[in-house]
Amino acid sequence: MLLARIAILLVVAALPLALAGDYQLRFLAEILIIGTAVLSLDLLVGFGGLISLGHAVFFGSAAYAAAITSQKLGADIFVMLAVGIVTGMISAIVLGVVVMRTIALFFLILSLIVGQIFWEIVFNWRELTGGADGLRGLPPLELHTGFATIPLTSGVTLYIAAAALAALAYLVARSFVEAPIGRALLGTRERSLRMSALGYSIPRIRLMVLAASGGIAGAAGALYPFVNLYIGPNAIHWTMSATMIIMLVIGGVGSLYGAFIGSAIYLGIQTYVSSYTDRWQLVVGFVFVLTVMIMPKGIVAGIKAVLRRRSGARSVR
Amino acid sequence: MGFYAVQSLNALSFSMLLLLTGLGLSVVLNLMNFVNLTHGSFFLLGAYIGIYWLASGAPWWLAFPIAFAAAGLAGLLLERFPFRQFYARTHLMQVLLTYGLSVIFADLMRWGFGAQIISPEIPELLRGVVFILDMPFPVYRLFIIGFGAFLALALWLVIDRTIWGAVVRACVVDRGFVETLGLDTRRIFTAVLVVSAGLGGIAGALGAGILSAYPGLDEEVLILALIVVVVGGLGTFRGTVLSSLLLGFVMTFAKVWIPEFSNVVALILMAALLVALPEGLVAQKVRQV
Repeated sequence: MLLARIAILLVVAALPLALAGDYQLRFLAEILIIGTAVLSLDLLVGFGGLISLGHAVFFGSAAYAAAITSQKLGADIFVMLAVGIVTGMISAIVLGVVVMRTIALFFLILSLIVGQIFWEIVFNWRELTGGADGLRGLPPLELHTGFATIPLTSGVTLYIAAAALAALAYLVARSFVEAPIGRALLGTRERSLRMSALGYSIPRIRLMVLAASGGIAGAAGALYPFVNLYIGPNAIHWTMSATMIIMLVIGGVGSLYGAFIGSAIYLGIQTYVSSYTDRWQLVVGFVFVLTVMIMPKGIVAGIKAVLRRRSGARSVR
Repeated sequence: MGFYAVQSLNALSFSMLLLLTGLGLSVVLNLMNFVNLTHGSFFLLGAYIGIYWLASGAPWWLAFPIAFAAAGLAGLLLERFPFRQFYARTHLMQVLLTYGLSVIFADLMRWGFGAQIISPEIPELLRGVVFILDMPFPVYRLFIIGFGAFLALALWLVIDRTIWGAVVRACVVDRGFVETLGLDTRRIFTAVLVVSAGLGGIAGALGAGILSAYPGLDEEVLILALIVVVVGGLGTFRGTVLSSLLLGFVMTFAKVWIPEFSNVVALILMAALLVALPEGLVAQKVRQV
């Protein structure tokens, strides 16, 4: 059963390689990378009940760190990932230490403020980050095997790298959620008072999930600049965080896989609807609001529920 | 000396805008436990309506009641659907719903009013400058300070000193009890939301004179207002007043002294305040469990 599932997944993942052109593969790589960042947000929102409006910081600061490192040392994919993960984790721990004592609305606002402080720094530190212009002309991403260097610049290679990243991130997130720490995290969300009475340190659990989430977001951020060979300050702005939340909600909070569906729907609308009309944000807004109102568990769960109701009605008859 | 007097007045006029917007937000949050992220949209709507009204040549002073009415009407419609369905939901769901709506409104307003920056024609009466300790200061900003203080005071009087305010406050404490007295609390909540939206609109019409109106202003104002409300402390009128004054002065003087880092400094200060006082400047006494 499990093997069959993995086989199906591999076939589905391989399909675009046969069918899609270079442009579409790049687009899919972007969906998978952003989806990975949204997946890490799901750890916070879906399992920890921590709505962060500063999530773009983990993603964006890792992207900048990778881009800046690549200008000096070249863009070895493993070096990039290491730099990204470390940067993502550090910024997550910085945010965590600051916001540790707050929850709910306060957490939301404080993460927003901390996020904007990071953005102001990136925006104003022109020598290092290029300010409003961002960084262009990055070296191509490379995979150094023992005997050869493979450049990861074509759509195909970028897609494979992004798919591998997404699959790994999914497995890490899944195992985090299913490990005792993940269970404890759910406990802090549902009954924080009882958890602390049982001797759990809630700040410590939250800090650990922030670090894990930051690490995954950082890994995604590390590859992001190399899809378009550009990174700009928008990647770290709070609207990016809000966009990630929109994607997460459309795809389904607390489902992990929904992150990728949400990012595909959002970026799909952004890319394809905007070629017909300037009002793509209106479309995104409506999709988002309708999801919140009708299918608060996300589109996949919503459609599943509708199908189940229909088949349930049939079996009763 | 005159320079600092003028800058202080600048800060005060900006604080007034923050106060009016923040009050609208905090009234709904405190009285109805509803997080309304469309408040920035009300502000921008009021700003556009004020600008178009002032350009139309109709009596200028009507611009503010009209902005209040337009934003209030938007609030009324939204309250009927879909806000009302979300009062009993978690803050997360409220945040998601209202943020989504604000995205829709932002795009609708960009569609209807255009994407360029527009500023109002300030009426003759408010156009000039007065000299304060030999430094020029725009009359319009004095008008904002005076009118804003009047509105905030009026709101405080209504909520704190009248029977209507008492009813609204009673709804916060025990909604069921107010119902048993024969009052329709749903209509009370509608009224509160309409007043809040109207305040947002009037703040926008006032603020357009110094901030102008452009797509994206709604989000900027919303964030500042949220910071004001949360830093001030939930459930307190005084806290909101205090934090709007603080944020207004810090942002203004940071721009004067350290223009490059003004936003960073203001943000760091607000973050530090929230970390040091997680309950806000003026903490409400709440019994824990």
